[in-house]
Amino acid sequence: MKVLVFMKQVADTEARIIISSDQKTLEIENKYVVNFFDEFAVEEAIRIKESLKDVEIAVCTFAPRRAVEALRTTIAMGADRAFLIDSTNRETDDPLIVSRILAGFARKEGFDIILCGRQAMDDESANVGPMVAEFLSLPHVSHVVRLSVTDAGTAEVVSEIEGGRRVSEVSLPALFTAQKGLNEPRVPLITGVMKAMKTEIAIVDPAAIETPFGPIDSEASKITVLSYELPASRPAVRIIDGASPEEKAQNLVKALKDEAKVL
Amino acid sequence: MTRDVLVFIECRDSMPRKASLELLSVGRDMASKFSSTLLAVMLGSGLKEAADVVSRYADKTILVDNGSFADYGWDIYGSALEEILRKYEPMIVLGTSSVTGKDLFPRMAARLQAAMVSDAVGVDLGGEGVKIKKPLFGGKVISWLAPSSDSTVIVTFRPNSFAVADAGQRGDIIEEGAAGTRNPAMKTLSSEKTGSVKVDLQEADFIICGGRGMKSAEHFAVLDEIADLMGGRTGASRTVIDSKWREYDDQIGKSGKTVSPKLYIGCGLSGALHHIMGMDTSRVIVAINKDPNAPIFQYADYGIVDDLFAVLPPLRDQLKKTREEM
Repeated sequence: MKVLVFMKQVADTEARIIISSDQKTLEIENKYVVNFFDEFAVEEAIRIKESLKDVEIAVCTFAPRRAVEALRTTIAMGADRAFLIDSTNRETDDPLIVSRILAGFARKEGFDIILCGRQAMDDESANVGPMVAEFLSLPHVSHVVRLSVTDAGTAEVVSEIEGGRRVSEVSLPALFTAQKGLNEPRVPLITGVMKAMKTEIAIVDPAAIETPFGPIDSEASKITVLSYELPASRPAVRIIDGASPEEKAQNLVKALKDEAKVL
Repeated sequence: MTRDVLVFIECRDSMPRKASLELLSVGRDMASKFSSTLLAVMLGSGLKEAADVVSRYADKTILVDNGSFADYGWDIYGSALEEILRKYEPMIVLGTSSVTGKDLFPRMAARLQAAMVSDAVGVDLGGEGVKIKKPLFGGKVISWLAPSSDSTVIVTFRPNSFAVADAGQRGDIIEEGAAGTRNPAMKTLSSEKTGSVKVDLQEADFIICGGRGMKSAEHFAVLDEIADLMGGRTGASRTVIDSKWREYDDQIGKSGKTVSPKLYIGCGLSGALHHIMGMDTSRVIVAINKDPNAPIFQYADYGIVDDLFAVLPPLRDQLKKTREEM
């Protein structure tokens, strides 16, 4: 069985981000991590490998070369192979293009299961998983919190739905997006880190991937970024005075009612 | 393609969600700008009453109301929605960035090769076309995007992004008999409701959120009491979820939910960046913490520096009093 994991390297929460003076580009401090929800996807792939025989895990990302580091982290966790589809000078703002490229790679590489996080922490778009599934005509389940794969080629899946949870049975091949709670991602062991250092990460040119799902060139992008700006800042906090907690509570409610007008 | 605006309505307990009414309100502004028709699409079972509400916002409410649509699935909802979109050919489709929206619309965009922008929070209808406002990096940066208008555009918005306009004249309700097909590779074995009938966390106008300073699961009782009397919801920080004092469904922050209520009250929260990123867009932020140097005060409009266990009971009583005066 082959498990393919799509991973995105994203800016760390603490990374400083500077908007260029023409508001057209972003400069991101060099602090990157494996996307939070993708860690669950990698961990789940490793658990499938541990519970079934003959499972191979390949991790793939469409990213600039810096993401090799994040791919090494996934190898250190327990993935077998890693691929970086080089996004340098490529369109990355249109999720359709990103998904066509990843779907094309999956089609070439082969898979029984595709796993990815439910969304990326940087753009919170949650597009790529279901889009890839659509391009490959695969069933998908999003927001997965439990996954049991059988040798017989089916999976029993628990996923979050609006206002509840659903248990479904899905015939493989299929795509699943991981929600927090699916598992506890492991911290790589030193032996894993050593292996990751030695593993060769394949760099793939997107032009070498056949993508019969639509165009992938920059001209085909349907999304234009007009500008970036800082969010509106809040005025300084007003600390509510009062001789006692009761008085402070009273003064707060008064301010919320008369000043802020939210009560 | 027409220049019409189409809103996908989500219902909860057989009534339209507030987030969907928000979309109808901004959709009305778009339809006015393009001198076009505002369409609403409703898929489900037992939605006659909900359609009545929606028809007071939309020019045409397209209703697919039959038993096979009782349970959402991207397969059956997707095939019906695809049929409707191909028939009515709207220029722009508006949906909610909800669990359902995140599951359904990306597939729809791939199927129709439509421009897709998700998790947006605003629009600018001032110039040519429609400009979409979308936060990045947990709200550290705001981006403005222009989706190409050569083909259909699909945009999903976070709940609480727009005000709900007043209902207007009743529009037409058009019943469509879309068949909708289920994917044979998928079978639902069972489903359960987790949340009670409380308001959705992302749609709540009022949120009171507890952090590590709440000290135990039991202490959340007073927050629940306040949330209930305000018709809102209790939220929690990641530490609280990791300590299993509350369910993951309540988590506000980067690895949980992003919320923008009218009023957010943070209790015993230090204000870690990943939490701030989940609530920074709230209209008014109040922080209650005994540590005057807690970072949360840098993001708050109002602050109380005191022991929260001494502040919360009188705060509850004061809020109760204002509710009773209304």
